[in-house]
This record gives sequence, structure tokens and C-alpha cells, in this order.
Amino acid sequence: MRVPPVVRLVVRNFAATLDPITLLVMFGQPAFLIVILGTMFDQLIPSVGASGSYIAYLVPGMIASQMITGAVLAGRIFWLDRRWAMVEQIFSGPFLRAEYLAALLLTALLFSLVGVGIMVLVALPLIGLTPLSPLEVGAILGTIALGSLFFGGLLVAIGGRIRSANLYFTIQSLLQYFLIFISTVYYPVTSKTPVVLRAIVYANPLTYAANTVRDAFTHSFGSSDLVGASILGGLALGTFTLAVLSFRTLEMGPVQ
Amino acid sequence: MLRAEELGFAYTPERFAIRSLSFEVARGEVFGLLGRNGAGKTTTVRVLTTLLPVTEGRGYLFGTELRHAGRAERARLGVVLQSESLDFVSVEQNLTLYAFLWGVPRETAKARAEEMLELFELQPMRKRKPWGLSGGERRRFQVARELMHEMELLFLDEPTVGLDALTRRRILDYLAHRARQGLAIVFTTHILQEADQLCDRIGVLQGGRMRAVGPPGAIKRQYRGARAVEAEFERTLTDPERAQVRGLLASKGQGLVIVSDERGLLVFRATNAEDLVADLSRWAHGAGIDLARISVRETTLEEAFVTLVADDAADGGPADEGLP
Repeated sequence: MRVPPVVRLVVRNFAATLDPITLLVMFGQPAFLIVILGTMFDQLIPSVGASGSYIAYLVPGMIASQMITGAVLAGRIFWLDRRWAMVEQIFSGPFLRAEYLAALLLTALLFSLVGVGIMVLVALPLIGLTPLSPLEVGAILGTIALGSLFFGGLLVAIGGRIRSANLYFTIQSLLQYFLIFISTVYYPVTSKTPVVLRAIVYANPLTYAANTVRDAFTHSFGSSDLVGASILGGLALGTFTLAVLSFRTLEMGPVQ
Repeated sequence: MLRAEELGFAYTPERFAIRSLSFEVARGEVFGLLGRNGAGKTTTVRVLTTLLPVTEGRGYLFGTELRHAGRAERARLGVVLQSESLDFVSVEQNLTLYAFLWGVPRETAKARAEEMLELFELQPMRKRKPWGLSGGERRRFQVARELMHEMELLFLDEPTVGLDALTRRRILDYLAHRARQGLAIVFTTHILQEADQLCDRIGVLQGGRMRAVGPPGAIKRQYRGARAVEAEFERTLTDPERAQVRGLLASKGQGLVIVSDERGLLVFRATNAEDLVADLSRWAHGAGIDLARISVRETTLEEAFVTLVADDAADGGPADEGLP
């Protein structure tokens, strides 16, 4: 049976980039944060809204942030493929640029979903999870998919325009920390939150993703989440378009 | 199999990288692209492999115009790029993973990987990561990896850079063997000796234009420039005889350089070497001096290349020129 080109590229992406250290850093760090940060802050923060305990608040946020983990991996694969001329090598073979881009985004999505599974496994003994309805599971997976597409598209679009590894990885790190820390992943936005900070938090797509996942976990999924999903979907379409444009004008040749 | 008709690529309308390239490559033919650094060899390979768009003229890959060539045509190509490309797994895994990318069945890939590891002497480093290999080993690995899948036309951009003479010979022999089986090869190199050895025809690029196209022998004949002549007389010439010989050479020789003139052995270079050999033989016969030997050394491709490129510089720019 002939394996479709996109699947071959996805398998190659996983096989060629997943070393134990990468896995440990990408999944170990958020799992570590759930255990340590969750346990430590749980003592200080008695309850957070509908979630109850702080750790129950943190877990959906960390699950939502997995979309960034997957996107970071896709961006890293793309950058290394450019650095080590695999982009040219693949483009000179039996693949379309669209297939390579689709494989990158699919890799980001699959990696994010694996991350979600790991976070749930880590969180289970700590908070226990009440059964979720098919709609709530669908909302979580849909949000992760849109978020992976948004962040993956963004990093690929940036990676296609920059010719310096230092610059790319600096931008990626800044973006990653900025998006995670100025969102509702770690803490809620309340009436006491400064207006400027509140505006920035709500301009961050990760906020909508974290809120949707959290609402699904607390069985309070509602119309505001649909609005959030629509915004995330629109933004994902935007970054996907940017990634396509970046690919169409991608300059071949060595990058440093 | 591959045809370029006035093919060109320009970054902007004013800034072209290659222009008006016309040549063909047939099944089983090895075509060498020669040129100085920046002559346009790599750009030509990139355009012909659809990595860069055609901006002028036409090119045909397996009969399909390059502007419309896609997956189907590229699936029949093999490309070893000048820049090193690799995945972050061991040498052996790189080979099998690349074969998987090309849809080679697993068992075939495993058997072929063993063959390539053996052929390219990569067995001792099969478990090592390719970026830890030496430059020559990495180049061998690049070529080995590309040969993991089936192809009809293979592009090799400087495949032998950094290789020792023995390995280079081994790879060239293997490529010649594949060409005899019908594989067409487009080959860029700085090492003119290997182009002479491997290529059926060569194209010399200069400033993005094709300066000459033809079999190495024809290129060498047309651009052979000065050739070296060695004449050994049966006895040491007297001073008056030496003066006569020098006078003869000076009056008839074109671009004459006397390299050495000692104890009956005369070595000189001239562009009309054959004429001078005849003149010198007649003079010796007339003077009653026997010639022990007289020979004109064959022009190497490197000498022809230097002549060609030097002519071009003297003319103020490249011009298209075809050879049979």
C-alpha cells in the first residue's frame, strides 16, 4: 500500500526530530509545572472561581498551552530543515510545498494532542477528572486543533522569513513566554487586574483557548466560548494564510 | 530527457543569474557543468530541479515544460545538492528514513541501505549521527542517501568535494556504471580531471552564460591553447645549432615559451605546436641531426578550460558557442 505523501512527511517529522531530551523538555516541563507549581500555589490560593482549587484551575491552562508546545516543535522542525537544507531536498523530491506545510501543521497538532494526553495523565492523580461529555471533549480537541494551527502557522510564517537561527529562536522563545504568561493559563483575569494588562490578556488567543478548555472541564461551556473559538478560528485562518504566503516566496539557499 | 532552450533565471529583470542556456541530456549520458565559482552552476541545477522558477526561455524535464513540471517529474529525479542536507538521526536511519520518504518498500530499503553503506564505506559510522562525520564522509553519505531510491536523471552538485582520490575514483566508477545502465547524470564540478573522465559532454558556464558545449575532446581541441612539445636530439647541439633552432621557433612559433633547452633536450610551449614539430623535424633532417624523440603532450581539460575562460575575459564577456 502506498502511503500518502503528507503521512510520509509526518512520520519523517516525528522520526527525525523526537529524541528523548526533546521529549523530556517539551512534555516534562509543563508536567513538572503542574505538579510543583500546582501543589505549591494550592497552599497559598484557597480557591479560583468555578475550578475550585488552584491546581484544578492550572491543569486546563497547561492543557491549552500544549498547542504552543506542538507549534514550537513544528517551527523547530521547519527551521532545522531550512538550516540543514532538508527543505530543498524535500522540495526537489516528489512532494508539493503544500504537502510539506500540511505535514508541519499536522505534526504540530498531533504533538499537541500527545501533550494533552500527558497533561491529563499527570493531572489525574492530583485532581481527579469528572467524566466529560462528547461536546466538551470535542470543544477541547477543537480548541487545541485551532490553537495548533494558529501558533504553528505563525511560527512557520516567521521561520520562512528569517535567515538567522539566533533571531528565529529568540523570537520563538519571547513569543512563547509572552503568550503563556500574559494569558489566563496560570491566573484568572478579575476586576482587580489592571485595564492595560486585561486588554493584552484578551488580545492573546491563548486566553480564549485556556478559557474554553477550562469551561469544558468545569462543565460550563457556553456561548462566550463559541465566540472565543470563532476568534481563534479566524486568527488561525490568518496565520495559515501568512504561512502559505511565506512558503510561496520561500527563499532557497543556506541560512545560518 | 532534459532539454534547455535559451533557459534563464533572473532575480530581478536587471539581475540575471543564468541566461540563454541551451543544451540537452539524453538517457545514459553524463553531462558535466563546469565553471568558476559563481558561474551559475548551482543556480542551473536549482532551476532544472524546479527549486527556482524559469524566468526566460524554456526547459523540458522528461518532455514536460519546467514551468509545469511537478511531483510526477520530480519523482523521476535524484538530487544531491551542494549544501549538506541531513536529518537528526544516525547515518543508517537517515538512509532508511529517506527511502521511506520516497516510498521505497521497507525490505528493499534495508537491503539497499546495506549496499550503500558498503559501497560508500560508511559501515563503521552507520550508528553515528551524520553531523559528527568528517566533510568527506558527509559527502559520501549525501550521495549514498540519494541513491536509495530509483531515478532516471540524477543531479550531482559538486559531489566529490572533500573526497580523497581513492573514494572519488570509486564513486565515479559507480556513477559511470549506473550511466551505462541508462541513468542520465548532470554533474557539476571544479575538478576538471574527473569531468574529463566521467562526462560524455560538458558545458562551460561563465558569468551565467554557456560559453561552450560539447564532448570533452572537442572542447579540448577547440580551446587547447598552448601545448607543450618535447624534442630530444641524439646529441647535444652546438651553440650555433641552438641559435638556429631558437631562431626558427621564434620566427614561426605562436605564443612561444621555451621551457628548457639543455643537453639536446628542448621543451617549449606554443599554440601552433604541430606546425613547429614539422618545422623542427625538417630542420633536424636538413642539418643531419637525428631526433631521438619528439612529442606533443595532449591538452588537458583544465588547460582548455583556462584558455576558454581567459579568452572570454579578454573578449570582455561571454558569448554562446556550440560544438558538435
